[in-house]
Amino acid sequence: MIELFEAVFRGLGQGSVYALIALGFVIIYKSSHVISFAQPGFMIAGVVLVTYLVELPGIGFWVAVPLATLLTGLFALGIERAVIRPMVGRPIFAIAIITIALDILIRTVAHAYLGINVRHVQDPWGLRTMSLGPLTVQQRHLAAVLAAAALVAVLFLFFRYTRMGLAMRAVAQDQEAALAQGVSVGAVFAMSWAMAGGLAAVAGSFAASGRSVDPLFWLIALTALPVIILGGLDSLPGAVVAGLVIGVAQALTQSYPHWVSFLGTNASVIVPWLVMILVLVVRPYGLFGTREVERV
Amino acid sequence: MRRLASVGAAATVLVLALTACRADDDPGTNGIEGLDVGPGVTEEPCPDAVNEDNGCIYLGILSDLSVGPFAPLAVPLTAAQEAFWQRVNEEGGLTAEGLDIAFDVDVVSYQRDTQYDPTEHSRLYEEIKPNILALAQTLGSATTDAILPDMQASDIIAAPAAWSSLYAFEEVILESGANYCIESMNAVDYAVEAHGIETVMAVHYEDDYGEDAAAGAKIAAEGHGMEFISVPTPIGQDNQAEAVGRVLAEQPNLVIITTGPAEMAAIVGGTAAQGFTDVRFIGTSPTWNPALLASPAAEALVGLYEQTGPWTDGFDGDTPGHQAMRDALGEVDTVNDGYTSGWIWQYPIKAALEGALADGDLTRSGVRAAAASLTSVDYEGMLPAGAGNFADGPDGQLRANTINRPDPESPTGVSVAVELTSFPTAEAYELTQPCYELLDD
Repeated sequence: MIELFEAVFRGLGQGSVYALIALGFVIIYKSSHVISFAQPGFMIAGVVLVTYLVELPGIGFWVAVPLATLLTGLFALGIERAVIRPMVGRPIFAIAIITIALDILIRTVAHAYLGINVRHVQDPWGLRTMSLGPLTVQQRHLAAVLAAAALVAVLFLFFRYTRMGLAMRAVAQDQEAALAQGVSVGAVFAMSWAMAGGLAAVAGSFAASGRSVDPLFWLIALTALPVIILGGLDSLPGAVVAGLVIGVAQALTQSYPHWVSFLGTNASVIVPWLVMILVLVVRPYGLFGTREVERV
Repeated sequence: MRRLASVGAAATVLVLALTACRADDDPGTNGIEGLDVGPGVTEEPCPDAVNEDNGCIYLGILSDLSVGPFAPLAVPLTAAQEAFWQRVNEEGGLTAEGLDIAFDVDVVSYQRDTQYDPTEHSRLYEEIKPNILALAQTLGSATTDAILPDMQASDIIAAPAAWSSLYAFEEVILESGANYCIESMNAVDYAVEAHGIETVMAVHYEDDYGEDAAAGAKIAAEGHGMEFISVPTPIGQDNQAEAVGRVLAEQPNLVIITTGPAEMAAIVGGTAAQGFTDVRFIGTSPTWNPALLASPAAEALVGLYEQTGPWTDGFDGDTPGHQAMRDALGEVDTVNDGYTSGWIWQYPIKAALEGALADGDLTRSGVRAAAASLTSVDYEGMLPAGAGNFADGPDGQLRANTINRPDPESPTGVSVAVELTSFPTAEAYELTQPCYELLDD
């Protein structure tokens, strides 16, 4: 039973990373109805930035991560202003394709900076473990859970109590009505991209804890796709819950592969997609997504 | 009448198109200074030629140069190959006794980034094929498989950037160094001698690379009467928890790893982090990256990991070939054995081109024939004398490896602990088919 709970905790750690990446997807989708496939690019750009910043004198992990978050957020904002904003009014599909191109472009440049060797964020946890009651857990997983919890709390306060947060909620509900009320929709778009970029950088930094950053690192962000579909494309709580669900499902199938042996070896790789499909059969709009009613 | 004219015109276009296709498939031969030449050879100098009076031999490179999984290895590998041919060109290029012309070699004009994608690999191969004599590099097993039938049909030889046992049976692939299968046999035999092991597990990718090494480990383990466990694992550090779980559950004495470097570190580090350290890990040569010594898994790697190596020594070796490589490359930002491998893989291509020139036949078929008749290649000490015996097919394969240990003092992060050695299982093994085909037997 101890092993089971340890696997669940490991899944919560991984799921927290998925949740942070998924929140970025959802924030952009809520503001502009665009699924931005550039999130993996922002994540690896942020992580590569951290690996360089931690090498500067006097800058450790704790300074490098907020700094990289800020810079990646500003970078994402710049991308939105320069590339996405001129596309407003164009088909959503075309914008989504542009974000795929952006992702490939950003990843290619980031990989050039990654160089021929793997790099490290020099996190304070490494592979060290600690006791949590009767459980032995890796410190990095606990750190990811705490970081995700803190950021979710900050986002909650931001959307509930700040002027920009309220404006973003208004635009998410009805863009034209918000515009008529004097809300700067352009500023909301820019802010949503900046937030998504920053969240991707934080998620990447915690995902890179205790491991190396290599050219395949971006694949982690791909798992955020079933997460956002499972949680509901326009649901922030859905992104968090689905992220944790997928993380735990993956960890359990990694620890107990015989549970899903009918799916072949290493079934944990397809489990996120399988869970997504199973849930969508019952709830087509995801766990927390808004059910859209359209006249046909 | 108009319909008849239309049909006639369409038929004419079709015939012309078919003729064009045939012309492309069979490019024919020409002559330069009494030498038979085919596609990829010109009397005109190479672009940015070192020797303006020389003709040019164009070699293609199909590599993983940007976002693919092996880019960290492929970039230095390709840089070393450019440096190799730059050195050849600076020494006057390639020629043969009695010829009035010499050739520089160009490996830049038809260099393509296929991103380790078989479809892209195949498409870009078709794109450069009309203009190249041979391939200086085709990176990856699955990607090379995609173009192999056409290479055979078109007599295009290539240096691989992989060590699959399949290539022992392919005349058009000039493989240097022991293949993954032999490498793992040597690893198991070494571990039996050095660590007194009793059970062997192979954690491996589910492809030619992983299964070739796992099959070698299985053959050696069964030869010693030991239990063997095969654990396929997917790509990506995040996906190694299941493999770690299997190591913890089965508690083998030896784990042969055939993955990428980051995955290897995740497996070794993950196992040690969960308290199981009564095990040895030996990774095939592509599992190592010197930067892992700065990773959170470094302590576990230094204590538990060893690497099998295909060459007499790493980047900082002291053979004439190593010295020539370092001189040709000049200052490199980060030392990596991708440079060493890329450089060494070019020696057989050079030998084949020299053989073809000596035979007066610098066509694709001439180069293929010259390659197939090589009984040894001068690797300038980077491989032992007698290596590069392509004339004897599988029997001519080199069967020796080094055993390397993590060494923070070494520029490549490892140093040779056991010199290039052919252990008993590999020495006695008769290669009759690619090893990966035997894994499920």
